[in-house]
Amino acid sequence: MINYPEALKNAAKSMVRFKNPDNLLRMIVRFIAKEIGLTHASILVFDTVRQRYTFIDSRGESKLPVHLIRIDSDHPLILSFMGKGKKPHLYKDALLLSHLEKFVESKESSRGIKIKKVFDSMKSIKASVCVPSFYQGELLGVLILGEKKDRDDFTHEELSFFHTLASDAAMTIKNTEFQSQLIDRNRQLEEKLAEIKRLRKKEQETYFQIMLSLAREVREKDDSTFGHLEAVEKLGLMTAEELGIDLSGKKRDILIAGLRLHDVGKIGIPDSILKKEDKLTPEEWLIMKQHVDKGVKILEPLTDFKDVVEIVRCHHEFYNGKGYPRGLKGSEIPIESSIVSVVDAFHAMISTRCYKKGFSLEYALGELNANSGEQFHPKVVEAFISALKKNMYGYYKSRISEERQIQHEEKPNTI
Amino acid sequence: MLKLLVVDDEEEICDFLRIFFEERNFKVSTALSGEEALRKVEVEQPDVCLLDIKMPGLDGIQVLKEVKRRYPKIKVIMVTAIETTEKIEEAVRIGADNYITKPLSLEYLEKDVHQKISDVA
Repeated sequence: MINYPEALKNAAKSMVRFKNPDNLLRMIVRFIAKEIGLTHASILVFDTVRQRYTFIDSRGESKLPVHLIRIDSDHPLILSFMGKGKKPHLYKDALLLSHLEKFVESKESSRGIKIKKVFDSMKSIKASVCVPSFYQGELLGVLILGEKKDRDDFTHEELSFFHTLASDAAMTIKNTEFQSQLIDRNRQLEEKLAEIKRLRKKEQETYFQIMLSLAREVREKDDSTFGHLEAVEKLGLMTAEELGIDLSGKKRDILIAGLRLHDVGKIGIPDSILKKEDKLTPEEWLIMKQHVDKGVKILEPLTDFKDVVEIVRCHHEFYNGKGYPRGLKGSEIPIESSIVSVVDAFHAMISTRCYKKGFSLEYALGELNANSGEQFHPKVVEAFISALKKNMYGYYKSRISEERQIQHEEKPNTI
Repeated sequence: MLKLLVVDDEEEICDFLRIFFEERNFKVSTALSGEEALRKVEVEQPDVCLLDIKMPGLDGIQVLKEVKRRYPKIKVIMVTAIETTEKIEEAVRIGADNYITKPLSLEYLEKDVHQKISDVA
């Protein structure tokens, strides 16, 4: 005799193992046919693609031809399992041929005709009992079982065992389906996210490139000094390294972008002010100062480069708090902005522009020192001079002496 | 009583169809290969042959040719899996009287197939 609770426990354990539900169903069918001694055990499973029921497997001496027959969703046998709303259906747990036989004999009503059809179909597929596999009202499959070899009736215990087995199988089928759907959806989602990320990055990079060429244009428009941005970038990086600032990963790019883009807002300043050789009037000076906010506005869409925007926003703040636009001081100002401010001022001083000759290196360094702790961050000035002496002093010295040096008495314009 | 010969290399199919049609008052014999089919055709002279197309050895098309050559009166209904429907055209050209595709719906089998067989015969 079979220990049904034990058999169920084992079956439940095996269900966890199967990745492909078909294998599980085959196992169930084999188990039933062999252990319970049936003429055949077969299983019908709903084919979600073709929307019909097909045989997955059939075992036993009078097994069914699995490739020959299918059962459509509207077949009376299938419909007999579907409750028709009014009351829980008669055959919810199992459909027994012996049970139907009584109805077939006794009734000639329309219900009787339907039952006769089911009865005939069960005979066609040599079924003594049909056990539905439901999952949340969905008929996923049907266990089709032949008669016992000893021709005994099925016991209540056996029927309840089949019923539990069929429900567990349905759950397993659904679980595997859900799992594969979930995996599928996750993969699709990941692909989409990656695509969005890629596009966004590309967009940001494109925008960034536009900003860079814009910055170059501004600089050319401003003082036609070729190579100012490149020089500012080189000097700025040098200073940052001297200061021991962490330039790993994106940080290096952020600093470079800040160095290159700090004056991008000048694109919005009229040429009459930008190129004015005389001193600016207080009104003109106010307009000139707007280049910081304009730069911030231009760069704001670059959400990947938020730190760059911050560098640009603060590059005219003074260490002593007397700068603009916000009057930040000391450590309130990002160190990168302080670097931009020092190297930009330095390079502006030594450069020859259309309206002035460049100052000498000594003069420029003297100015930086004189304004250290006032306009400029003292540590940045210190690091800048030290780095310059280490790396590029010779280069600037010789370059500047080649140009005709004129000592200017007035303070240079360090916008 | 109509005499039916079921030819299929799958034993379950032969058995199933034999029982199915016997219950519906046909006289049924079966053959598991093309070679066996030709022997049985000769001996039993069936009215209708249910002939699977895909079989090892002599396949359904070859058997059909031979049956139609020797016994043009015997009606032949080809049975084919959905995947090999292109063979149907060839079979019809050779002289197949009708065809059915696997898997057959149970309802079709119950309601229409024996009608189809009777019509052909």
